[in-house]
Amino acid sequence: MSYLFPFFKWCDGTWVAETIRGSKYLFPIIEAIHLLGLTVLLGIMVIISLRLFGFILKHESTRDLATDLRPFTWTSIVTMLVTGFMLFASEALKCFDSPSFRFKMACLFFALIFQVTVYHKATTSDKVDSSPGYARITAVLALVLWFGVGVGGRAIGFL
Amino acid sequence: MSLLSICQWIQDTPIGTGLRESIWMFPIVESTHVLALSLSVGTLFWMDLRLTGTFMKKQPMSQVSRSVLPWTLIGFTIMTITGIFLFWCQAVKAYNSIFFKMKIAMLVLAAVNAIAYHSTIYLKMDEWDKAMPPPARARFAGWASIVLWIGIIICGRTMAYNF
Repeated sequence: MSYLFPFFKWCDGTWVAETIRGSKYLFPIIEAIHLLGLTVLLGIMVIISLRLFGFILKHESTRDLATDLRPFTWTSIVTMLVTGFMLFASEALKCFDSPSFRFKMACLFFALIFQVTVYHKATTSDKVDSSPGYARITAVLALVLWFGVGVGGRAIGFL
Repeated sequence: MSLLSICQWIQDTPIGTGLRESIWMFPIVESTHVLALSLSVGTLFWMDLRLTGTFMKKQPMSQVSRSVLPWTLIGFTIMTITGIFLFWCQAVKAYNSIFFKMKIAMLVLAAVNAIAYHSTIYLKMDEWDKAMPPPARARFAGWASIVLWIGIIICGRTMAYNF
């Protein structure tokens, strides 16, 4: 992983990183926005997964529900990525050594790929509502990957 | 006995001390509290948006309510249990934190808002189940809930800091 070190060092020295480190309030404010984004995004994953399992909102198709949720989904993902990068940059050197951060980035990588492939395909056709197996696998993957990101993120503060 | 000495006593109990000094339990309880936000506020949010008439407009309110609320309640049960334990092990810190006091004040307001909604306009849902926009009192309850919960989350997170 050491070939990535110059990138972490560069992030640590960016204007964004130095501004956040130099302020008493910026980090907590950005962190609070990050947490609100988490609430919305993981809330969406819970709702969609419950629908995919057929537990809730059965009168509405998964596709219709996902279409209603899509603007919120992407707004929260982009909010998370922007505020997340800011938080990361301000303590990039700490993150470099953090196993939690590496775990989080691995989950995030797969979660984003999953989001634009399997999840996208499942939530833009009606096939998923007539195929319980397909629906359940999609739901479980969505929950595991996105909650993995959340667990890893919270754990950065602990180990 | 002052409130502060009660807080001191609470966090000095074996459970309080044990949890505070534990290697794994505290992070697990803390992380559960944070991630259960998805199930509690993360699901309540959509019901609130439906109440305000800005989301899932084609779905009758009763269906959204019936679908989402049980899961929201499971989420809030987890939040309450983990929240009590987190307070238990750092009661003095909470006592000294203005953000904790603000959080509790907003939790009380959110409870009042929920009780007011459920004991009035919720009972007459038949009349406005499919009405768009929903009645003003329903919209007010929805927006109030959204604003309060955003405030509660911000204050909860900010409790970790001393300004």
